This record gives sequence, structure tokens and C-alpha cells, in this order.
Amino acid sequence: MADAIIEANNLGVRFVKNRRRNLKVREFFIKRGKRRLRSDEFWALRNITFAINEGDAVGIIGKNGTGKSTLLRLIAGVLIPDEGTVAAHGRVAPLLELSAGFSNELTGRENVQLVAALHGMSRAELKEKLPEIIEFAEIDDFIDVPVRHYSTGMRVRLGFAVIAQLKHPILLVDEVLAVGDKDFRNKCYATIERMLGEGRTLVLVSHNESDLTRFCNRGIYINSGIMEVDSTIEEALAAYNGLVLA
Amino acid sequence: MTSSVVAVWRHRDVLRLLVQRDLTVKYQSSVLGYLWSLIEPLAVAATYWFVFGLLFDTRVGPNGESYLLFLVSGLFAWIWVNSVLGEATTALTAQARLITTINMPREVFPIGRVIGKFFEYLAAMPVLIVIAILNHAKFGPYLLLLPLAVLLQMIFLIGTALLLAALNVMLRDTEKFIRLVQRVLFYALPIIYPLSLVTDPNNGVPTWVKDLYLLNPLVGIFELHHAAWVSSEGFPPMPLVISAVLGSLTMLLGGWLVFRRLEPAVLKEL
Repeated sequence: MADAIIEANNLGVRFVKNRRRNLKVREFFIKRGKRRLRSDEFWALRNITFAINEGDAVGIIGKNGTGKSTLLRLIAGVLIPDEGTVAAHGRVAPLLELSAGFSNELTGRENVQLVAALHGMSRAELKEKLPEIIEFAEIDDFIDVPVRHYSTGMRVRLGFAVIAQLKHPILLVDEVLAVGDKDFRNKCYATIERMLGEGRTLVLVSHNESDLTRFCNRGIYINSGIMEVDSTIEEALAAYNGLVLA
Repeated sequence: MTSSVVAVWRHRDVLRLLVQRDLTVKYQSSVLGYLWSLIEPLAVAATYWFVFGLLFDTRVGPNGESYLLFLVSGLFAWIWVNSVLGEATTALTAQARLITTINMPREVFPIGRVIGKFFEYLAAMPVLIVIAILNHAKFGPYLLLLPLAVLLQMIFLIGTALLLAALNVMLRDTEKFIRLVQRVLFYALPIIYPLSLVTDPNNGVPTWVKDLYLLNPLVGIFELHHAAWVSSEGFPPMPLVISAVLGSLTMLLGGWLVFRRLEPAVLKEL
């Protein structure tokens, strides 16, 4: 059996529903541990356990608000769980929000340098890859213009162009394929297929069934924060669609 | 704490980029650019010197001639402290999108602010040196106190920045509260007046106020700044230096602890 590259064990995270902050002074002094839910809290995810192997392409599906993006954020390490553990044994390239890290005051070039460095690209590597990134994003003339003046399409293309150059073994994609025109989507698909061909692991959140069946071999169906199906993508989709497979 | 230090060190490229970016953004849109780092402190120094040096006739040095140098040595260090207090609160909130998307040691943001402001302090150094020369300062062994003062100040400010950055995400009022602290702190430190005015046994200040005043680690740090430039000040009293060292380390440890404890909630809140 292959070693799992992403593992979750009894993972749980709770959020506050109303405007109250996520922390009370009292709790600050009490160690992280079990305590009862207050009336305005809810478990966004609970008892999530799974193991994703290297090379898997997993689709996470469920209705809006069931915790899919939250799960991706936990895997990426930008959220800390309240219960259980989650571990990714490899670098993670997150496509949670394509224009993340772009500062309006800086130019496209400067932003690429910043975001690439944030993702762990060395300066030498970036220098080498920069022409490719600019070409992929198709914004050659505007690379030295402040990002403030970019259209959303340009930002998304540039953000994706950077991610496409990373060598990280794990790729997390959160409903981002829905954005962008046809050309961009085709480029995205081609890149993702290339990455999967290289043996990388993909975790995809999407409502688009054709995307899911196109890329994924496994599917996890989450309903109100609880994992109901962890199986093939067909079974997971069937559960989502309320059908029952014979 | 060591895991944090290791993580930040491994991401030092990111740290450098963040500092560079902050400095670029700051100076990019202004016409005078770097000159502002010199003009601003100079203008502030001139104002205080006029009021407290000339009008109020504060005296420092055997013939009262070193007031300007005394003032400037404290003022420039204060500008560093003040700007960190002002900008640390937004270190995390200003980068919310980044932090909720890319995984990296979050400490990098407040620490980046402290270091960025340190470079602004360095940028104003030529002015300090010129004033020192004009004041016939002896660039003697006391100058070695300057790196010590800077080191302690850096430690203290990093702890403060970690504390404020995390706190402000949960309690947005922290920003307003800090503005108050900035105002009061300026007068609670021996910047425009020499420490002797406070410690003088013949002034009407009650002992408990004096003790409270001296507990502030920044007092020791500022005295070190003064001693480095104004030779007539002499080495600050040992208890003061020790309290500065202990206070700075405590601030660093405390700030870091708060940062870590609040981190899960901060990530949910951003």
C-alpha cells in the first residue's frame, strides 16, 4: 500500500455563527481541548478521517457551505483544527484564491516575485521561470504596470501562471476553474493534466460534474461537515445527487 | 520558541521581500522619497529643540550644551518605537488575503514591520552623525553601547509587534488603544528631558511613581542610546540596564506566547 501523502484523523473545526469573535478571554487561558459547543457555534467539519495516496486525484463535493473550502484550508495549513489532526507530507500548491498575495501598488513582475517567493521558489529558479510565466499569462506588455490596473482576467491568469510553475507534489484547487474564459479554462485543464501525468496529487473542489469525472479517480462527499462517502468519484457523485447505486 | 525561530529563518527570503516591499511602497508614491527619512526627523527634532531647548531651557551636559544631541539621540530611537506601535497592529489584518491562502510562519509579518522600521531608523542615522560631529561629540568607547541599545530595542519591539498584531485581529479596538499609549509613552520616557529630572530626590514626585517609571524596559534602552552619543551622560546605572535586558526578553517571550495562543482564532477571524 502506498504511503498516504495527505492524512486526516478525526479532524474537526468549529466556527462562530454571529458577530462575536472566535475567542473569549476565558478560553485564552484554557488549553486547547474538548469543551461543549456554545449556542452560537457550530462544527464546520467533524470526525473527518481519510488518507489520500500519492498520485490520487480526489474530488470533494457537497452543497454550498458544507465545509469543502474549509477542508482545503486545513490541508493547506492556513487553518488550525480544533480537534484531530491533518498532515500533508509534501509541499502544497494552493489555488484557493488566484489573486492572493497580489498587492495593488506593485507591478505584475514584483507581485510574481513576491508570490513565487512565498511559495518557496528560490530567486534563481524564479529568474529562469519568469519569461515562461509572463508568456503563459499573456500579459507581456502589462507586466510592469501596477496590478491595480489589471482586469480580473489578467490577475487570474497571472496567479495561475505562477502556480503552474511550482513543483509542489500536492495541488489544491477550490472552485477556481469556474472563473475565466474558455481559453483560460483550456490552459488550466492542460496544466492540471500535465501535473497529474507527473504523478502529482490533486484535491479538487468543484460543482462541475464533467470536471470532476474528467480528473478524479476518488470522491469524498461531505454533508453538513460530516464525511458521508469516501469512495470512487461515481459513488460520491451519486450520493450528492441523491441517487443510490445498485 | 525554537520552532518559530527556525521557521522564520527558513523563510528569511520571504521576510526580506516583505520588508523590501513595504519600503518600496512607502517611498514609491512620494516625490522626495528617501529625503523624507531625513527631513521628517530633522523637522521634529528642530521643533522640540526650539520649545524645550530654547524656550524651556532644558540643560544636559556640564554646561548645558549637549541638549540637542541628547534630544536627537532619543528622538530617532523613539521614531522607531512609535512607528512600530502604529503599524504592528495592522501587520496581520492588512495581509488577510495572503495569510488565508498561503501557508507560512505568520510571525514573519510583525517581524517584517519591525525590521522595516529599523531600516528607516538607519536611514536617518546620517543626520544623527552630522549633529554629533557639530556638537563635538567624542566617538569613543561609549559608542559600543549603541549596538546593545539597538539589539535590546529590536528584541523588545519584536515581542510588542507579535503581541499587538495578534491582539488587534481579535480586538479591533487595540489600534485605538495603542494611539493612546503612543501619546503617553512619549512623555513617560527620557526623550525631551534627562532622566535626572525624574530620579532627582528633591522633586515632588512620589516614590511609587518613580519606581513605576523605572520599571519600563524602554527607559534603560533609551538611556543606553543617550550614553552612546552624549559622553557627559556616562554609563547608565546597572539596575536600569538589567531591567532593560530582562524586560525586553520578557516582552519577546510574552508577545510570542500570546501570538501562538491566538493563532488558531486569528486564522478563523481573518
